Amino acid sequence: MAVDMELEAVLRAPEIPQAKYPPKVITLANSKKMVVREAERRDVPILLKAVKPTMEIDRDFYDIVGARLYAELLGWYKHRVRNEYCLIGQIDGYVVGIVNGRMVNKDIGMSYHTLALDRGLRVGSHLFASKMEHHIEYLGQKEVWITAESPIGFRRWMIEYGLLEQEGIQHELGGANSYKLTREIYFETKPRLVAGTRPVPKRLLEQAEKEILVADEETITEKICGVKGR
Amino acid sequence: MMEELGITAYKCKKCGRVHYPFHDRCLSCKSREFETIKPEGAAKLLAYTQIFNLPWGFDVRFLIIGVVEFKNGVKAMGQIKADSLDKLKTGMKMKATWEPIRVQAGEDIYGLKLASIK
Amino acid sequence: MRDVAIIGVGMIPFGRRDEDTLLDMLAYASLKALDDAGLGDKSVDCVYVANMGAGILQHQTSVASALVDRLSLIPAAADAVENGPASGASAIKNGLLAVASGYYDTALVAGGEKMREVVGWKATDFVATMTHPEAEYPYGITLPGMAGMFTRLYMEKYGVTREQLLAIAIKNQKMGALNPYAHVEMVITKEGIYDSPDAVVNNPVAADPLHLYDMCPVSDGAAAVVLCPLELAKKIAPKSPVLIAGFGQATDTHTLQERDDPTDLKAVTLASQQAFEMAKLKPKDIDVAELHDAFTILEIAESEHAGFFKKGEGGKAAEKGETSIGGKLPINLSGGLKARGHPVGATGVAQIVDIVFQLRHELDKKRQAKNAKNGFTINFGGFGNNIVAFVLRRVE
Repeated sequence: MAVDMELEAVLRAPEIPQAKYPPKVITLANSKKMVVREAERRDVPILLKAVKPTMEIDRDFYDIVGARLYAELLGWYKHRVRNEYCLIGQIDGYVVGIVNGRMVNKDIGMSYHTLALDRGLRVGSHLFASKMEHHIEYLGQKEVWITAESPIGFRRWMIEYGLLEQEGIQHELGGANSYKLTREIYFETKPRLVAGTRPVPKRLLEQAEKEILVADEETITEKICGVKGR
Repeated sequence: MMEELGITAYKCKKCGRVHYPFHDRCLSCKSREFETIKPEGAAKLLAYTQIFNLPWGFDVRFLIIGVVEFKNGVKAMGQIKADSLDKLKTGMKMKATWEPIRVQAGEDIYGLKLASIK
Repeated sequence: MRDVAIIGVGMIPFGRRDEDTLLDMLAYASLKALDDAGLGDKSVDCVYVANMGAGILQHQTSVASALVDRLSLIPAAADAVENGPASGASAIKNGLLAVASGYYDTALVAGGEKMREVVGWKATDFVATMTHPEAEYPYGITLPGMAGMFTRLYMEKYGVTREQLLAIAIKNQKMGALNPYAHVEMVITKEGIYDSPDAVVNNPVAADPLHLYDMCPVSDGAAAVVLCPLELAKKIAPKSPVLIAGFGQATDTHTLQERDDPTDLKAVTLASQQAFEMAKLKPKDIDVAELHDAFTILEIAESEHAGFFKKGEGGKAAEKGETSIGGKLPINLSGGLKARGHPVGATGVAQIVDIVFQLRHELDKKRQAKNAKNGFTINFGGFGNNIVAFVLRRVE
């Protein structure tokens, strides 16, 4: 479809310049190395392929997280969400998790979604922590607003981080009361929740950057649901 | 906080064994006659742990729980008031108080709270 | 008393089985056991169903009556057995006694639990209901918490190290990854859960000094066995029967604090001694064991209290590989509770099923204990307050 660039210029709001997230590598419980790095806008079509099968998984709120993340990534790709960013986790090139969020303004970050495509290795937990790291340490923000769509998310984020409940303050995702992570909470929890080392060894980074590999739909579904459908 | 600890222990009238919680017959001699006693004297820390992944009903990140033995032989579990295990050690003396330990159906439930003696 | 043999076993993969009800799981495992025993279109005289939590988790009671109805085993006598996490072995003991007494000839024993029906912290609360309702439960103590206190005392007294606990976790997850019935199919490494700087996040403290990977998962699952007199087994069993050579059961105080020495698992020692005595065997005669490693420390402590190692030596033996496949006494080649999973009512039955697989020599060589003749199990209830041990023997 031809894009009317004049109108498009109106629809695409100006963006705040955003600092880049420097890639890091995390050693997982099985010794696999997960590279965590910032995805580019041009990576979105391939990431959508990874998200798509989760929209059909009616388990642990994967369907709602998948559907909303799909829309958010597409919105970012087509310049309809402002100041969005997306971090991905890759093992052997394969994308195993996706997190995203955006800058509301210089000081406030809005955490969107956390999607783990491989389970049992704390991939989601590591990526959520990376997202907080990005907002506080690299985007230099004062606070991050968070809401949870699943009980797992609630337990993990609100309780493990000790987030502050914001009575009556609406998160962009809607839903229940929002919570916030402050710089103080972040630096207090960092030693036990934020993993990873920098710089990423050259070979690992090159492998990750070369191509974002996506497992087939069946494998993604199996990894999320386990193989116990037998 | 209440001054008196809400624990009632049971001392066997025949052999002197101290029980808490209640048993219908003495764990040592099977006698059924007990004298009720209260925990008395300093409490010594026998065992402790810091628990994450708490059961339904606790909206905190962790609890520190321990078992103490009072001077008069009463042994009981309690919640330890501390931010970490750094300053705890098996065998150390603890101060015991009777305070809310959880909320059930909107009501405070009281129990043993322990703190290290500075 | 008659000798009693196991002539059929069945198990379904443990894990999270959203698609199955508790009764579905019990029925699937039972049908497999009946088929294995060659009784696929026959009945049995009595049925024992091990389950700890249907009343709380599923709001369902009388599961034994429900199961005989599902399986068309009416009018077999049917009882449910609730004995906490030792329900499985308790149910087998009841089936064993019913057949040994001569009153019944055939017994089906099934154990099952559906714990993933509720969110994790409700499952934790459910398991904690076995603690003392006045002296323990209100404080928020959990079974991992009990294990944490026990571990610190055991470390202080016997010098058990974190490395020894890690060795158990790594060994059992490695075996679980080879077991098609196991809940956890992921190999873990010392680097990933201990050595790497990221390990502090990967493997956080769960109940100090125990960490996440010291704990068994919360699982759904079911397992079943069919029992009959040994003499009858020799005539009708399609596969080589396995003799229940001995059993033992012992109890201890409800609360850990009332034991003279909380590190002394007296009920484990007693139950094991009874089982060995009845079987006329000694710990050294055992070729393969399934121990109740709900927490890594328990595999060490049970291996010592059952008499396989001196106190303080079990952890060292594990670290040296003596309890791994090919070692002196392979323990938990199924992956144990740590990796097979721990659907509480099913576990005691699953342990027996796994030992039967071993004694029938029908496992892949990566999991098969070589020339296994005698097997041993411990099913651990409460925090050591109700223990059931079995000695099983291959019938040549």
